[in-house]
Amino acid sequence: MEVLQNEDGRTEKFSKPDPPLQRFLENFFESKVSTGAFAVLLLILILGLFAPLISPTDPYDLAQVDVMDSRLEPGSKSYTGMTYWLGTDGAGRDLLSAILYGLRTSLSVGVLSGLIALAIGGAFGLIAAYFGGKVETLIMRVVDIQLGFPAILVALVLVALLGKGVDKIIVALVVVQWAYYARTVRGSALVERRKEYIEAATCLALSHQRIVFRHLLPNCLPPLIVVGTLQTAHAISLEATLSFLGIGLPITEPSLGLLIANGFEYMLSQRYWISFFPGIALLITIVSINLVGDQLRDVLNPRLQK
Amino acid sequence: MKKIIVLLIPLLSLMFINSASAKVLRAGIKGEPSSIDPHYHNLTPNNALSREIFDRLIMPDDKQQLMPGLAVSWRAVDDLTWEFKLRKGVRFHDGSPFTADDVVFTFERAPNVPNSPSSFMTYLKGKNIVKIDDHTIHIKTKRPYPLMPNDMMTFSIISKKHGQGATTEDYNNGKAAIGTGQFKFVEWVPGDRLVLERNDDYWGKKPEWDKVIIKPIKSSPARVAALLAGDVDFIDNVPTTDIERLKGESGIELSQGISNRVIYLHLDHKRSNSPYVKANGGGSIKNPLQDQRVRKAISKAINRDAIVDRVMEGVAIKAGQLLPEGFFGVSSNLKPEPYDPAGAKKLLAAAGVPDGFEMTIHGPNDRYINDAKICEAIAQMLSRLGIRTAVETMPKSVYFGRASRGGPGKTPEFSFILVGWGAGTGEASSPLKSLLHTYDKSQGFGASNRGRYSNSEVDVLVEEALATIDDAKRQDLLAKATEVAINDLGIIPLHYQVNTWAAKKGIRYKARTDETTLYSGVYSN
Repeated sequence: MEVLQNEDGRTEKFSKPDPPLQRFLENFFESKVSTGAFAVLLLILILGLFAPLISPTDPYDLAQVDVMDSRLEPGSKSYTGMTYWLGTDGAGRDLLSAILYGLRTSLSVGVLSGLIALAIGGAFGLIAAYFGGKVETLIMRVVDIQLGFPAILVALVLVALLGKGVDKIIVALVVVQWAYYARTVRGSALVERRKEYIEAATCLALSHQRIVFRHLLPNCLPPLIVVGTLQTAHAISLEATLSFLGIGLPITEPSLGLLIANGFEYMLSQRYWISFFPGIALLITIVSINLVGDQLRDVLNPRLQK
Repeated sequence: MKKIIVLLIPLLSLMFINSASAKVLRAGIKGEPSSIDPHYHNLTPNNALSREIFDRLIMPDDKQQLMPGLAVSWRAVDDLTWEFKLRKGVRFHDGSPFTADDVVFTFERAPNVPNSPSSFMTYLKGKNIVKIDDHTIHIKTKRPYPLMPNDMMTFSIISKKHGQGATTEDYNNGKAAIGTGQFKFVEWVPGDRLVLERNDDYWGKKPEWDKVIIKPIKSSPARVAALLAGDVDFIDNVPTTDIERLKGESGIELSQGISNRVIYLHLDHKRSNSPYVKANGGGSIKNPLQDQRVRKAISKAINRDAIVDRVMEGVAIKAGQLLPEGFFGVSSNLKPEPYDPAGAKKLLAAAGVPDGFEMTIHGPNDRYINDAKICEAIAQMLSRLGIRTAVETMPKSVYFGRASRGGPGKTPEFSFILVGWGAGTGEASSPLKSLLHTYDKSQGFGASNRGRYSNSEVDVLVEEALATIDDAKRQDLLAKATEVAINDLGIIPLHYQVNTWAAKKGIRYKARTDETTLYSGVYSN
């Protein structure tokens, strides 16, 4: 609180605005649900990141995985005396380790494809909004066409054409997602570019590049961050879907979707754990990302500002 | 109005009585035929269906033994001529009589169906048919051909009257689908249902069912669920994961039987630089699979009991050769290779690759029982031996094309693959000729020899067997050829499939070694 003296001698009290980051954090952690979701997400990220260090076995090392240990119930012991806390799958992989590694794959595929799509889609969106005219028409019609196809269909066709592998899945997910980013960025950039500061920058004869990336882009970021978070959750579930359909990743390096698919055939034979635990892990990941994303949207949206 | 109702009541009750007494079988099957045309596609579901609507000259029984069909007797008149006596008094579904002309016509049409993805040429090549009288035919070959009766089990006899000028489409819509078989064709809605009804004028034993409604249900859990829910009465290809569960259901009965299909591994024998075999670290290496000691080490490192117990859940029988015991041409000296990891290590060291190498196993993921899981288990076992093995599985529609013709110059692409072979003729010459004889397109040898194994000793024995009419001599030659090829590890046999069918209580199925699902073989208690 600061006290300023007016010219006429009256004093007025102003509350000095908090720094923006602090305000943002305060607003974000106001809700208990999103604080909890953020904590869970952080935990998942750490688990995924350090999976090789914390998981009891390496589920991708075929020399360690033993088919003699397949389909063991949660809590069973292997012949080496190790306990399979979440049981094993049909190939004898420790499910706990497989889930940790699966999280790692799912998260890295989701985040990487999200970032690349954000960069590509964001750039196209800015260009469309800034230049307008034929460039805009061309870019936005391509976006329209792309959004006309169901995402899963486009991804299926692409993966079928490109083949298996993490890199190919990422390419497919980027192709599916960039249009969402392009559309979002264009929307907010259209509003921004009519504002005075852009006009001022144009009058100063700054280069297009500078105006677009130094002036326009930072002001379009908030909606992009929100869409980015939600799209990451979408990408993770899309990757899980592709893996579930058997066209995603190699069967010896299962992601969460593939683990669920592998366990699916055991459902009727009452070996629930093979699908159940990976399913729960996927659910928690996506829900926590979505909750964080929702809160980000509320906090970053000036219209919902209290 | 009243009158109408009065009229309707007896009519309706008649309908109810009818539907109550008509015996309908609703079947849920994994593989839908690709056509009703019996000569369009040489594929298990098609061949099973064609046996219901049409007949064969010789009909294989549930153990693939030769039983009289449209031919009542057969004999070799001399080394180059076989005589078949045809059954008298047989009528097609439209009432027209069956004669030698229909057989002659079948020989003309069967190998020449346009756009056939896999034709019946194999069984008909080099055979000249001569009509002697209305119920006698002679089939002549240029060389002695002992497998003539076996070949006559493989294709269905069609009506000349309806088949002349008929296209595959005419069979699919039922116009030409008129045979002599136990069932008449009613309708086919691809992907939804196929309906058959009993042929009351059948020459042999008539089936129990007035009507059969066949539903293709590709997904195994869905097929089992449909049976449990009572949507279908009978299913084939019960997944091994659900067998335990179904055994515990009081309302379900299972039937199981060993099949003639051996699941085995092909290894690249031909290329000294094989594309999916690398030195440790990814460098190139002279193909170690060409060394018999390495192949032996691989076979010893595979724990067949573990595959049978853990992957197949006990529903398979470990294999040491090409066909299970009891089939013609099997050797009594061959046993499944025992699991011996220490011996395998020694062999690898002796072969100069003590630290192993890197390799990829390719396999289908929707063709054989648990195929992808078997590939994974084998990769585990070989990785523990030191041969670090990656797994790549794919749908059969992609896999078989690449496995046979995916490499340069339409050669086999992969280095180490999982495949299965069911002996269509029910004896050992079928796998020997197709899998282990040197590849020779012009003579029809080694057609599925995807490892390009070549051993002149095997070639000589197989060719001699194929020209020996005397059964005892031929049995010895086939057994000898099998021993030579298996001891040289031309292929590595893993196990024989065991197939499982399930039905609601009161319905039984007689399991067949040829893995086919025949509705005429479904009985109620």
